[in-house]
Amino acid sequence: MSPPSTISGFTVIPISYSKSSTHYIYARAHISNKKPGQKNSWPAGRTLFAVNVPPDATERDMILLLKPYGIVERVVFDSDNLYLLEEKEAEEEDEDSDGGDVEEENVVGNGETQPRKRRKVVAAEPPKVFELPSIPLRKLRKTGQSAHVVFLDESSLDRLFAASHTKPRPWPTSSEEPSGLAHYLALYDSLRPPLDAVRQHADSSMDLYEFELAKSKRQASKYKKGEAIVDEDGFTLVTRGGAYGQTVGGGVAVATKRFQETGETSERKRKRSKKEKTSFYAFQKAEKQRNELLQMKKNWELDKAKVEKLKASRKFKPY
Amino acid sequence: MEKLSPPNQDSATSDEEVPEQQVEEIQPEQEEEWGGIRTDRPPKKSLKPTGEEIRVIKEASDLYRSNTFKLQIDALLPNVQPKAKHKPPLERFLLSLHALLSSLPEVAPKHPLQAARTLLKKGVSVPYSDPLPTEETNWKVAFTKPSDITLVGSWANKACVKGRDGFKYGIDLAVEMPSDLFQEKDYLNGRFFHKKAFYLATIAAAISKSELSVDVSYVSTNDNPRLTKLVLESKADDSANDFTKLHAQIYIIPTVSLQSPISLHRLSPVHANIRVPTDSDNDKSLTLPTPLYNTALLTSLVPRIQLLSAHAVQQATPAFNDALTLLRVWANQRGYGEAGSTGLSIRGFEGKGPWWTALLIYLLLGEEPTSAGKGVGRAKSRPLGKGLSSYQLFRAALDFLAKHDLVGEPVFVKASKGHRYTPDEYQSNHDVVFVDSSSTINLLAGTPVGSLKLLSSDAQKTLEILNDSSSSVDPFSDVFLKDYRDLQTRFDVVIRVDLSTVKSRKPDLHLTLDSGSASNAILASISSLLSQGLGDRIKAVAILHPTSTLRPLSQAHPFSPHIIHIGLVYDVTNAFRQVDHGPSAAETDPTVIERFRDFWGNKADLRRFKDGSITESVVWDVQTIDEKAHIPSRIVRHILQRHFNLTDEAVHTWQTSFDGLVRLPESISRYYIGSGLAIGSKGALVAFDDLVKSIKALSEDENTLPLSVMNISAASDALRYTSVFSPVPLPASIASVLPPHSKYVHPIEFMIEFERSSRWPDDLRAIQKVKLAFLERIAKGLMKTVPNCQASVVVGHGSRNSDIEDVARLQVVTVEGWTFSGRIWHDREATLLDRTINNTSGLLHIAVKSKGERQGREYHDAIRAREIYTRLFVHSPQHHRAISKLCHYFTAFAGTVRLAKRWFASHWLLGGHVSDEVVELLCAQFFVKEGWDTEVDKDQEENGNKNSFLNRLSIPGSKERGFASLIWFLKDWKWEEGIFVPLYGSAVSISSQPKAVTANSAGAWRVRTRIDPEGVIWTVHGPDAIVARRVQALAQATWNYLQSMELSGNGSVLSMFDHPTDDYNVVIKLDPTAIPRYHQNITVDESTLSKGSKKQSNDGSSSQIRPGFDPARALCLDLQGVYQDTFRVFYDYFGGTRVGIVWDPSLKEPRSFRVMGGFSCVPTINPESQHKTQKSKDRNLVALNEESVLGEIERLGRGIVTGITIQE
Repeated sequence: MSPPSTISGFTVIPISYSKSSTHYIYARAHISNKKPGQKNSWPAGRTLFAVNVPPDATERDMILLLKPYGIVERVVFDSDNLYLLEEKEAEEEDEDSDGGDVEEENVVGNGETQPRKRRKVVAAEPPKVFELPSIPLRKLRKTGQSAHVVFLDESSLDRLFAASHTKPRPWPTSSEEPSGLAHYLALYDSLRPPLDAVRQHADSSMDLYEFELAKSKRQASKYKKGEAIVDEDGFTLVTRGGAYGQTVGGGVAVATKRFQETGETSERKRKRSKKEKTSFYAFQKAEKQRNELLQMKKNWELDKAKVEKLKASRKFKPY
Repeated sequence: MEKLSPPNQDSATSDEEVPEQQVEEIQPEQEEEWGGIRTDRPPKKSLKPTGEEIRVIKEASDLYRSNTFKLQIDALLPNVQPKAKHKPPLERFLLSLHALLSSLPEVAPKHPLQAARTLLKKGVSVPYSDPLPTEETNWKVAFTKPSDITLVGSWANKACVKGRDGFKYGIDLAVEMPSDLFQEKDYLNGRFFHKKAFYLATIAAAISKSELSVDVSYVSTNDNPRLTKLVLESKADDSANDFTKLHAQIYIIPTVSLQSPISLHRLSPVHANIRVPTDSDNDKSLTLPTPLYNTALLTSLVPRIQLLSAHAVQQATPAFNDALTLLRVWANQRGYGEAGSTGLSIRGFEGKGPWWTALLIYLLLGEEPTSAGKGVGRAKSRPLGKGLSSYQLFRAALDFLAKHDLVGEPVFVKASKGHRYTPDEYQSNHDVVFVDSSSTINLLAGTPVGSLKLLSSDAQKTLEILNDSSSSVDPFSDVFLKDYRDLQTRFDVVIRVDLSTVKSRKPDLHLTLDSGSASNAILASISSLLSQGLGDRIKAVAILHPTSTLRPLSQAHPFSPHIIHIGLVYDVTNAFRQVDHGPSAAETDPTVIERFRDFWGNKADLRRFKDGSITESVVWDVQTIDEKAHIPSRIVRHILQRHFNLTDEAVHTWQTSFDGLVRLPESISRYYIGSGLAIGSKGALVAFDDLVKSIKALSEDENTLPLSVMNISAASDALRYTSVFSPVPLPASIASVLPPHSKYVHPIEFMIEFERSSRWPDDLRAIQKVKLAFLERIAKGLMKTVPNCQASVVVGHGSRNSDIEDVARLQVVTVEGWTFSGRIWHDREATLLDRTINNTSGLLHIAVKSKGERQGREYHDAIRAREIYTRLFVHSPQHHRAISKLCHYFTAFAGTVRLAKRWFASHWLLGGHVSDEVVELLCAQFFVKEGWDTEVDKDQEENGNKNSFLNRLSIPGSKERGFASLIWFLKDWKWEEGIFVPLYGSAVSISSQPKAVTANSAGAWRVRTRIDPEGVIWTVHGPDAIVARRVQALAQATWNYLQSMELSGNGSVLSMFDHPTDDYNVVIKLDPTAIPRYHQNITVDESTLSKGSKKQSNDGSSSQIRPGFDPARALCLDLQGVYQDTFRVFYDYFGGTRVGIVWDPSLKEPRSFRVMGGFSCVPTINPESQHKTQKSKDRNLVALNEESVLGEIERLGRGIVTGITIQE
């Protein structure tokens, strides 16, 4: 029984791992659903959206797999880009994702040992970070992941969808990145880089940090702690954080922390405390006593019901 | 005027008028709240409690522990008492039995042997006891109809309690033998017992011949032939007399009245009443007193008197019967009483019904003032009030048992006419004295001291449970409903002895005659010799065996138990002492030395000690620490061998097999034994101290480290004695000879804390970089200052991690081969992470962003990092310190934890599902109780406080007992309720209820401590509800096996650690040669570890040592990470060769295709909809692609995975 060729608009591409096991990748052309204001990062018409890419796939593997249809410009695994949440649809793009940066990370492959890409701030030239030495390693991602494949040429997509996918194609495993035991050995060694490299990396990272810190603190003064927060409509947010009980950036005095957090001031509330006496009249006393008795009875009945329930479950047979 | 009010207002006085109206108002509200309970009653009546109800309710809360406790007691009692509806057949039967007995014909006096021969022809043998009558005897046995037939004992008092394991209710029928059958001298040489035996046999013959449809057999209490009774069991024939349904048996006990000619004076404990000359020239036996014999005789006198005295007290005390029932249920649950054929009971409590009754009588009547000076010193306990509730009486009895030293202080229940024999007479001949109110009999004669000590400890334990008001758990089931009779959790070592080849070295004829049978004499002397030999090493020794069984009438003498179990409770301060000193060589009395040498045999040596003294002594050589723990059982073996000719085959213990579980295989350990290296936790601690010194020295030099090191704290089980295998280093010399798949060394974790400084950056990512820089400097510095030390910086742990998470580690390999892994604690991280999580960013207090944005990547990374931070830097060092302290005070704790961890690991749970720390906490609960640390500190100051906390019998003294306790706990643990472990002291507030466990939360267990009131720190990653249930099932199976193993005496300990794999969907086989930890495997194949069969699978890499490199573990972690929603991974990190996989059951059903499905799927075609109009939903169904997932696993594990088996 051959599987259907399409499912929910996705083309099913079977891939054989071995004689007995076949894997399925679901692919379709990337559809941009960006709002006008947003930057469209995927080139329309030559981007393939693939779902259920094997968890150990590398960019090289994907390039090899799609070679018959055209030359691949880059492959982006979505889990590197997005923080995966069940609710989020895959095609919502992360605004921040900068194509070039991501690519670089994936070519190197060993993302975790690198410093996080920092948002570029123009003006003065930031210090360069010495990366830790790395070797090509497979990065394992969650199963069922999706990826965007950008072809060099628009015709590649048509060729891919036109082709018949009844016969599974073997999964190409590139030999560049080791897998299995060799992978773990390589990983172990790469996590323990030479001390000099660690030093260089740490020092240069710190330099970058200092650089960015200095930039953001440029206009800070003793009396104007922080920077006023101005929203897109031009309003300044008045909030705590400045020096001497003033707003961030200085200028206006702000309310106390307590008021900000709770929205309440304490004194006024206290005055409103009850003046009623609870056991002044005889009827109050009698009522209280009666309620106590009622409460007692109620508890008793509750306990009784509890024990009855236990009894029903034959719990009281010690042996 | 009020009388004119409408009739539905039933109150007649104006006072109540107001509340009554209130009732009308309240009513609807009440109806809603608890309407379900009282639907069947008129609403008004139930709302206002009547006077009677108020009384009952008040009584329940004041006189009992709580309302529920009282109600539970009320629910329990009918279950352990005979049912009234089954009683009428019994009464009819008793009537006909009475008629039969009173119409029995006389038997003329005959010679005893001749009489026995006559009866034997009818198939009834006469249970004559030793010394047996001979042909020369010149007295005669006879039978005349009983002078009186009375129901006695608990049945007559309606205080009968069901026994364990289907043991039937006992109905004692006292048949009084006419006084004229006896003569004054009948107390001598068992003549009374012979007459009694003939009397009983005659009745037996008559009943078995009669119309009554009963099975008749003999039974002898405690296998003492002198205490033989007749047992009548109804045949189930549905006749009017058939009392089978009552589940009872009738005991016919021949008694004799106090008016009989037998002289009571001659029956005091000091009198010698067996005068059989053993040797012609030895007259000693004539003068030795025969206390047990005398007691046995007195037992025939007392049933009626006991009945009457109990009845009198019962009449005055309404709650007497209920209290007695509670007490006996409690005792039965703990093995102090009779049990059916399957259960073991503690020796000395069979047929002790009268004692339990007398115990309550004693509490109610008070003590007889003794004339002897002994009683003056201690405060007389005042008699209890007669109006106490059953629970209060029960508690008082426990209190007495827990606090009164029965061995040291004899008890004389207040008697109306004073006591017959003086206390000294009792004390000189009985170990334990408890004389009843009739002053005839010592009810505890023959009960071993060790058994009573256990009883006292059990009472103490129960009182603790009852007093613990803080616990939210209802104590009722702990006190009355749970079965505590198992051996493993009560005794530090259980020794199974096969007595079939027993042969006493010096048979004590007198003792044999006194106790009635050879087997009783041997058990008594085993008990006393063991106590003598073990001395202060133990707190109690107990012998356990099944309750004596029924035997056919044709068999005159009882079977004696062939298999007994000896249980020891260690006194851990002395138990493992290697030398026992005997008398000094300068001893003038030669018999003292002679006795010592005689007792110990070839083990006794004359030795000279360091202090110059020369003494007789016994030395127990030990090679390893494990053997040290065996010393008490070795002593038992030696004594049994020397004095009872019991060889090693007849004596069985399980300690050695347990030791083997946490030891490296011999082929590996022999390298270490020869190397002279300091190994074990001690060696690790020394190496760690050296490392700490070197790092601190570095920090003194400003150029190396800009900040000075404040603290270096250990946080590893290798440094707190609780790692499964005793830690070993891996120096190059040993590594070169080891095969590649056993070259594993586990890094020992520690934590560095620098001085506070404002120079740290205020950014999480930058902090991680600074840590790298610090570690790099330490590493360089160490390489420079410490010779041959290798240090490196680990920049991550391989799996997905974010850049705000603490991953940087310092890895140090010392010259001896110890490996350490250090991390840096910076407390500012916590504040920064909290800011990210709460989105305050340090400035904006009211800016709460929308929910969607909160759940960004940064937020989740911060949550994760915060959790890791709390665990690694806040709780881990504290936990380490607390556990180290525990190991220091409780010798058995470390071993318990090691066994427990091994158990969890071998069932593929440790590490992945159950954390090491939670195992340590669960084990700790058996050792600590609230306020233990202060008590321990106090004990240190005033050494030798006898009743101190550390001396409690309930604290495990051996790792086997601790392990059994844990398994026992796990099998019944309601983990939904969680548990509180007072490791750091008591709970601050009880109000903090643990978070409700939901079905899909990752951690289901709640193990709370004072510093972790939620109880989730160590269980946040598991076990989840499914695994928790599996743990429970595994514990139950292990427990059952443990029970059967000790009862049957065969079966290997290893089977408990053999994991059943049937429940896994897929089992992945791993290549042992690719796992560097294979030598730690529970069923390691030692032949592959020897050098000869060394396979050079990966030549280049095998020469290099990679500390902590475990590809199998890394693979499992990766698999769990990648397929986290597809399956669960189970693996034994101690060199396991198989990995178990269970598919997520929710993926079984095909579902519609989604882009973010989170699992590898295959399109399916719904067969039903194939020919119909295909709806889009049906067409888009996908299912889990199991084959492809397995294919991926094979690829991910290339070089490690050798095969994948799919199980149906």
